[in-house]
Amino acid sequence: MSATSLEEVLEGRRSQPQQLIEVLQDVQEGWGYISQPAMIAISQELGVPLIEVYRVASFYKAFSLVPRGKHLITVCMGTACHVRGAPRLGDQVTGQLQVEPGGTTSDGLFTVETVNCLGACALGPVVVLDGVYHSQMTPRKARRLIESLRETESRETVSA
Amino acid sequence: MPKLAAMEELEQLRASLAADRARASATVIVCGGPGCQASGCREVAEALREELSPDALTGSVRLRVTGCHGFCEQGPLVLVEPHDILYCRVEPGDVGEIVSATVRNGTVIERLLYMDPASGKRARSEQEIPFYRLQDRVLLALHREVDSASIADYIALGGYSTLAKVLRDYEPEQVIRQITQSGLRGRGGGGFPTGRKWASCRAAPGDEKYVICNADEGDPGAYMDRSLLEGNPHLVLEGMLIGAWAIGAERGYIYVRNEYPAALERSRRAVEQAREYGFLGEDILGSGFSFDIDVARGGGAFVCGESTALMASLEGKVGEPRPKDVHTVEEGLWGKPTTLNNVETWANVPLIMQHGAPWFAGKGTKGSKGTKIFALTGRVKNTGLVEVPMGTTLRTIVFDIGGGAADGSAVKAVQTGGPSGGCLPVEQFDLPVDFDALAKAGAMVGSGGMVVMDERTCMVDVARYFLRFLQDESCGKCVPCRVGVDRMLEIVTDITEGRGRPGQLALLEELGDTIRETALCALGKTAPNPVLSTLRHFRSEYEAHIAEGRCPAGVCRALITYTIDEERCTGCGLCREACPHGAISGETKQAHRIEQAACQRCGICIAECRYDAIVLS
Amino acid sequence: MPQYVELTIDGASVRAPKGLSVLEAAMEYGICIPHLCHVPTLSDFGGCRLCIVERVENGRARVTASCTLRVQEDMVIRSNTERIRMLRRNIAELLVAQAPNSRAIQDIAVRCGVRRVRYPFRNQKCVLCGRCVRACAELWDARALGFVGRGKARHIDFPFGVRPEFCKQCQSCIQLCPMTITPCDGPMGPGEERLCGKCEGQLAITERAPDACVWCDLGRGFDCSRHVT
Repeated sequence: MSATSLEEVLEGRRSQPQQLIEVLQDVQEGWGYISQPAMIAISQELGVPLIEVYRVASFYKAFSLVPRGKHLITVCMGTACHVRGAPRLGDQVTGQLQVEPGGTTSDGLFTVETVNCLGACALGPVVVLDGVYHSQMTPRKARRLIESLRETESRETVSA
Repeated sequence: MPKLAAMEELEQLRASLAADRARASATVIVCGGPGCQASGCREVAEALREELSPDALTGSVRLRVTGCHGFCEQGPLVLVEPHDILYCRVEPGDVGEIVSATVRNGTVIERLLYMDPASGKRARSEQEIPFYRLQDRVLLALHREVDSASIADYIALGGYSTLAKVLRDYEPEQVIRQITQSGLRGRGGGGFPTGRKWASCRAAPGDEKYVICNADEGDPGAYMDRSLLEGNPHLVLEGMLIGAWAIGAERGYIYVRNEYPAALERSRRAVEQAREYGFLGEDILGSGFSFDIDVARGGGAFVCGESTALMASLEGKVGEPRPKDVHTVEEGLWGKPTTLNNVETWANVPLIMQHGAPWFAGKGTKGSKGTKIFALTGRVKNTGLVEVPMGTTLRTIVFDIGGGAADGSAVKAVQTGGPSGGCLPVEQFDLPVDFDALAKAGAMVGSGGMVVMDERTCMVDVARYFLRFLQDESCGKCVPCRVGVDRMLEIVTDITEGRGRPGQLALLEELGDTIRETALCALGKTAPNPVLSTLRHFRSEYEAHIAEGRCPAGVCRALITYTIDEERCTGCGLCREACPHGAISGETKQAHRIEQAACQRCGICIAECRYDAIVLS
Repeated sequence: MPQYVELTIDGASVRAPKGLSVLEAAMEYGICIPHLCHVPTLSDFGGCRLCIVERVENGRARVTASCTLRVQEDMVIRSNTERIRMLRRNIAELLVAQAPNSRAIQDIAVRCGVRRVRYPFRNQKCVLCGRCVRACAELWDARALGFVGRGKARHIDFPFGVRPEFCKQCQSCIQLCPMTITPCDGPMGPGEERLCGKCEGQLAITERAPDACVWCDLGRGFDCSRHVT
C-alpha cells in the first residue's frame, strides 16, 4: 500500500542516512514524484545533506522530479526487444502521443518512458501500461491500446 | 510454525512433507515464470484453481504454480503429473478439458501438445522435445518441482538439509576447499573463481563481514537471475547461508533491481518464511551460527550491477563505483570484508555441497566447470531459458536447442554478455561456451544473455544501440567513460547516418583501447567491447556504410528510403492509417504516396502492407 | 610516528609515509605525473584519469589512477611508459576537445603531447573535475553544491538549481576551478575552437625528460600541485 503521509514514510528511519533510497522509493510510489518540500524534509529527518538527497533523486531512473501523467507507458528497449522491433514501437507511441520519452502529454494523461530491460525478453517487444505487461507488441496493437485508453478517458470526463 | 531448533527436527519435517506430497493423486503444474507471465499464465492458473477447487478439499489433486520452465516461446506451459504430459500455449478456455480429460482420465489432448515444426510430430513430454533433451537442466529442472511461493516443497525435496549437513559435519575451510575444487566461477559475468573469493574474504582481518547476492541483472536480454529468484528463492538463500558460514559473515543482503517487483516481493517473502522456520536468525538449527538477510531494492541504474556501485547504493548513496586497488573482499560494504556473488553462483552452492565437487567439475571444460543458464532471445525460434554444460557450442545452442532462425532470414550473429560483451558471427558458432574461449574471440560468456541476430540486423546499429545504452547508464564520474563513450557514439552515429569518414574506424579502435585501459570501473572498461567486436567480425558492414553510404541490412534510417510501388498499391489505406508521422497520403482505391520529408523510416507501414507494395531501397 | 614504506617509481627508490598516494609520493620526489582533479588538501576523486600509471604485479602491468592508489611496501610503479603516455595523451585529447576554453586544459594537452584533436570541438563550461564540490564539502563543510544527474547529463548544481542561503560566497569553488582562466589568446567563440599549441617551447623541455618535473610553466597553468604553495 502506498504511503499517504511523509510521516509514515519516515517512521523508523530517522537519522539513518543509509535508508535514503528506500525512503525515496516510498515517496515516489506514494506521490508519483519527489517534490522539493519532500526532499527538504527527508534531508532534515534522515540527516543527509540536501545536495546529497537531490543528487540521489536525480541519479536513479526510478525517481521523477516532476509529476507524472495519469497513465505510465513504458516501452522496453532491451537488446532482445530491440532486434524484434522495439524502436518501431517507440516511434508509434511517441508519434501517437506527440511526446518524447520521459515526457508527459500536455493533457497530463500519459507519461512515456523507456526502460533498458524488464526481464521478459523471450516475448518481446514488451510495453507496460500502468503496471500491466503487454507482450509481443506491434505498432498496430500499441495504437489500438492507446486509442482505447484515450476513449475511456474522454468518456469519463464527459460523464464526470 | 515453531522454529526448527535442531537438525533432527528438520529431518522429521522433511519426511512428513515428502509423505504428504506423495499422497497427491495428480498435480497440475503451471509455469509462472517471467515469459509465461507476459503471455497470460495468471488467467490460466486462476481458471485451474477454480476448476480444481472441489479437489482442493480432499487434497488429492494439487495445483502448483512454479518458476520458469524455460520454454518461454511456447508459454503458457502446463504440466500434468504423474503422466508427465506437457501442454503448450494453454489458454484459460482449455482448462476445463485439461482437468476432465487429462487429470481425471489420463487422456492426452493432442492439439495442446508441442509440435516439432520440422517433422510435424507431437511430443508428449519434455524429454521428447529437442529443446529440453539437449540441455542439462541442473538448476532449471528444480523449478517444476517447487511451488515458488511456498517453502514446504523446497523442504520436502531436501531443501536446507544440505545446510544442516554443512553446519554439522564441515569446517568452514572444508566448504571453501570444496567450492574451490568444484571450479565454480562467478556467473554474473566476471567469471572469478568463487572459492578463491571466499578464501580471500575469510582471510581478511575483521569480525564484521557481509555476503551479498547481486540480483541487479541489468544486461538487456537477460532474465536468468529473475527466474531463479522468483522460481526457487530458497535455493539462493541456502547458498548464501552456506557461504556466510564458510566466510564468517552474520549479515547478508539481496540487492534486487528496481525493475523486478515480482522478484523483490518473492525474495522478501522467502526471507520471511526462512525466518519463520528458523533458517535465518539466531542459532540456526541449534548450530550456534547466526545469520540474517535484508532484501534491498535498487533505484534503477545499470551501473549498480558493478559490485562497488552496488555497495554504495546499499549505503544509501549514488551508484558510483570506487577504485578497486583495494579489493571488496577486504574492504567492501561499509568498508568491511564483503563477498558479493551473482544469484546463479549462489544457487549452485547447495548442489555442489550436496553432490560433491567432482560431480560439478565433471561437467564443462578444463577452465569452465558446471552448467550455465542462458537467456536465448532475439531472432530465433525457441526463445527461452536454456541450461547447458559449459563447453557446449554456440551452434548447438542456437540451432539445435534454439531451433535456428525465427523466420526466413538467416542467422547472422549472436550477441553475448550484454553491453559488456561482444558479437560473434555465425561462422564462429563452433566456439564453445567457455569463459576463456569466448574472451579470446573478443566476446564473453557474460551473465547469460544471448541475443540472436539475423540478416536484417545491422551490426553498426547494434554497436550504436549499446553505446547509447552505456552513455545513458554511465555514472559519469570518469573522463574515459563519460566523454570517451560519448565520442564513440558520436562517430558511430555519423557512420549510421552516412557521414562516416575512412579514418574513423582506426580512431574507434584507438579510443576503444584507451577506454578499456583507463576507465575506473568494469562498466567503462568493457564499454568499447560491442564496438570492437563488431569492428573485428563485421568490418565490411562498417565499410559499406562509410564507402558506399549503404546499410547492407536495410536498417539505418538515414541510408534507406521507403517508396510505394504504384503498380502493386491497391489504395487500401492501411499504411496511411498506420503511419504515426502522417507521411502517407492518397485517396481510397488509388495508389498512395510517401512524403519523403515527413517519413521517419520507422518501417511501420511496410509491416502493415499486405500487397508488398512498399519498397525499401 | 608515521610508518614509512619503500617503493619503486620509474626505477627510483622512493620512501613515503603510509597513507600517501602514489601521485603525491611521486610529485614529492620530482617525478611529473600530470593531473587535473587532484588538489593537495582535498580528498582524491580519481575521475580525470590523467594521473594513470602502470602498477607491476606478478609480471603483469595494470593501469590505474595514482591519486587513489595508496603506497605499499615493494610496490613497483611506472609512470611514463610509451603506453601510459599514449593513453594519457588520448585522455587529454578528449578533455581539450570538450573544453578548449580553459588555459589549464590547453596546458595539460600540451604537457601530455597532444598534437592534434580528432574530435569536433565542443565548448563546455565545466569538465566535471569535482574540485569545487570537494572544496565546498571539505574546506567549509557547507555542501552547497554537488554533482547532479548521471552519465552525459551529469553536471554541477545547487539543490534545485538555486544557491542556498548557507552558501557564504567564499569563492573557494571559483578559485579552484580550471575553467576560470581562458587561453592566452583569449576566449574562443563557437566555431573558433582550436588546440592552442602555444607552449610548444615548453613541450620541447618536457619531451626530453618526460617524467621529470622541471617546474614547467605549464604547471602554473593547470595548478599543478608543485606550484600550489
